[in-house]
Amino acid sequence: MTTLSVVSLFPSLLNVNGDAENGDVLAARARWAGLEAMHLRIEEVGALPVEPDVIVLGSGTDASAEAALERIAPLQDELRRWATEGVPILGVGTGMELLGWGIEFADGRTLEGLGIVPGRAVPREARVSDDLIVRSKHGLLVGYENHARDYVGAEGSPLGRVVRGSGNGRGSGQEGVVMGSVIGTHLHGPVLAKQPALADAMLAATAERRGVAYATGGPAAEADGYADRARAVILERLGVSGR
Amino acid sequence: MRYAPAILVGRFVRFLARLRKPGGGSAVPGLVVNRLAPGYLPHALGAFPDGLVVVSGSSGKSTTTKMLVAVLRAHDRSVFTNPSTANIAQGLTSALLERADVRGRVPGDLAVLEMDEGHGARVTADLPPDVVVLTNVMVDQIDRFHDSEAVAGMLGRIASRATKSIVLNADDAYLVQVAAAAERGVVVERFGVSAEVLAAAPRGLGNARTAGERLAAGDGLRIVGLAGDVTTLELHGRAVDVRLPSRGIHYAVDAAAAVAGARAILGRDFDLDVAARAVSEMPAVFGRGERVTVRGTEVEFVLVQNPSSFQLNVDGIAPGTEQILFAMGSDVRDPSYFWPVDASGLGSVRVVSGSKAYEAALQLAYDGVEVGRVEPDLPTALDEFLALPVPEHGVKTIVFTADSMRRTRAHLGLAEAKEDA
Repeated sequence: MTTLSVVSLFPSLLNVNGDAENGDVLAARARWAGLEAMHLRIEEVGALPVEPDVIVLGSGTDASAEAALERIAPLQDELRRWATEGVPILGVGTGMELLGWGIEFADGRTLEGLGIVPGRAVPREARVSDDLIVRSKHGLLVGYENHARDYVGAEGSPLGRVVRGSGNGRGSGQEGVVMGSVIGTHLHGPVLAKQPALADAMLAATAERRGVAYATGGPAAEADGYADRARAVILERLGVSGR
Repeated sequence: MRYAPAILVGRFVRFLARLRKPGGGSAVPGLVVNRLAPGYLPHALGAFPDGLVVVSGSSGKSTTTKMLVAVLRAHDRSVFTNPSTANIAQGLTSALLERADVRGRVPGDLAVLEMDEGHGARVTADLPPDVVVLTNVMVDQIDRFHDSEAVAGMLGRIASRATKSIVLNADDAYLVQVAAAAERGVVVERFGVSAEVLAAAPRGLGNARTAGERLAAGDGLRIVGLAGDVTTLELHGRAVDVRLPSRGIHYAVDAAAAVAGARAILGRDFDLDVAARAVSEMPAVFGRGERVTVRGTEVEFVLVQNPSSFQLNVDGIAPGTEQILFAMGSDVRDPSYFWPVDASGLGSVRVVSGSKAYEAALQLAYDGVEVGRVEPDLPTALDEFLALPVPEHGVKTIVFTADSMRRTRAHLGLAEAKEDA
């Protein structure tokens, strides 16, 4: 039986908001669907599986971004190849920024990104830390954003339109970036637990690559019920219709 | 008599607040006095003859403050301190008003203040604490503090106000940087765990970044042993055993912070044996492993304040505990930062409650915890939970965040914790 390997990259540097736990969510859902799956928290490039099935890159602090880039830079070619081959990759916050063209910090420093998805992170006037609701092809995405940079240049292929919150900012009304199987978003923390539809889309895509079928199952119904109610509580507080 | 008019107004406001909420504390009198007489707070806090100690950090500041106060009182010092619920400016002033005479003077040899890391930098701007004690930098309230660097920056600003010494956790990589930035003339005192104690800690220390090196013998107060609720502290070759208010390495770290802090402010009057005895005699700390009898049943309260205490406290719950109520309230703006916690040790939770009940249940479900029922209305959940038959295994255990703790106590008619015991 195929074992799906879900990888979170460098969680010691890129996991300030529980973003790496999206790897746990994916592995759990795959198991609930009757597949074998493991979540690998990778700190050393050498420990990477040859062909990972899903990759999660979380958010870090400004100071850790450079160290994270140093560690991830040797993977640039592989990440490009995986992306073109359709391996689902989720970049959250700093993770998305590193996958993009680069980061401009408020103090004038810049970091060259991996250039796998379009877009550049540029300083915002003030940090935003609030709910973020996005309308996407996966339905309404409900979550939280906490970032001090906007994201420009992804206007051609965003993840969705902002219903509440700032998202990519700069008046774009858009949130995140999508390029093939690569998804970048400011929705931090357990974004995949809160939006099972997005998690399942990633899992279905990667299962198909392995030639196995993916169908949500087992305890997912319980977890998804909680996710639905948690989302409903937030939407109701914000006065946003869930449909 | 400069502050007498403001004090009178403050007292009157306090009287009105008491009419509205009998027995309750309020920050409003402090807010009013701070507005009328902005100089009062620094004036009153600067007037203690033996000085002012400020305790801050992400986690453990309440426990450390209480331990430090106990140690100082055991050294025959009369101490003014603030309840941990009053650790921002208006709360501090309200707490001072509780004790102040008509001229605003507060009796006591010295003051020990627990300071919120976010507000501390601003509150301390006008007052020079003699000693600043910093516990740690942990991931906490991401929506408020953004990230650990921001917290480290705030603690660094608080530390920069110290006129005599900074007492800090040598195992915290961020605080090691604070130490490096200390001004000349300000003494840096360190406390930390030994390599053996760290190696034996299943989840480490919980710091956002743990320093690469341990404190060497002779470089400060070291935690050299931990077995159950007894820790061994070592200072300049002398070792003493201290009984902690509960099991857990974080309590040992809090005790070390308190003892090191007491030594910094007391100087030559400090007595290690007196300090050890004072901490050992403290009752179980409020809200963390506190046992109470409610409606004829024994109940244990476990307070979750941040991911680190969540993890440590979950790990500390006896395996097989049959009846657990888990409540997450509105103090958790966005629960994302709790997701790195492995809650699987809870095994099974009877009722999940609080305004963030569904968010909490979602995490528990992914951690493989069996969830009996979700009931966001806390009073209903509590009534149901307490009505369950006495468990065959373990004590009824209520795990809650701060907001749910307050609501639980209010619903069960339990007095506000006596903070200043």
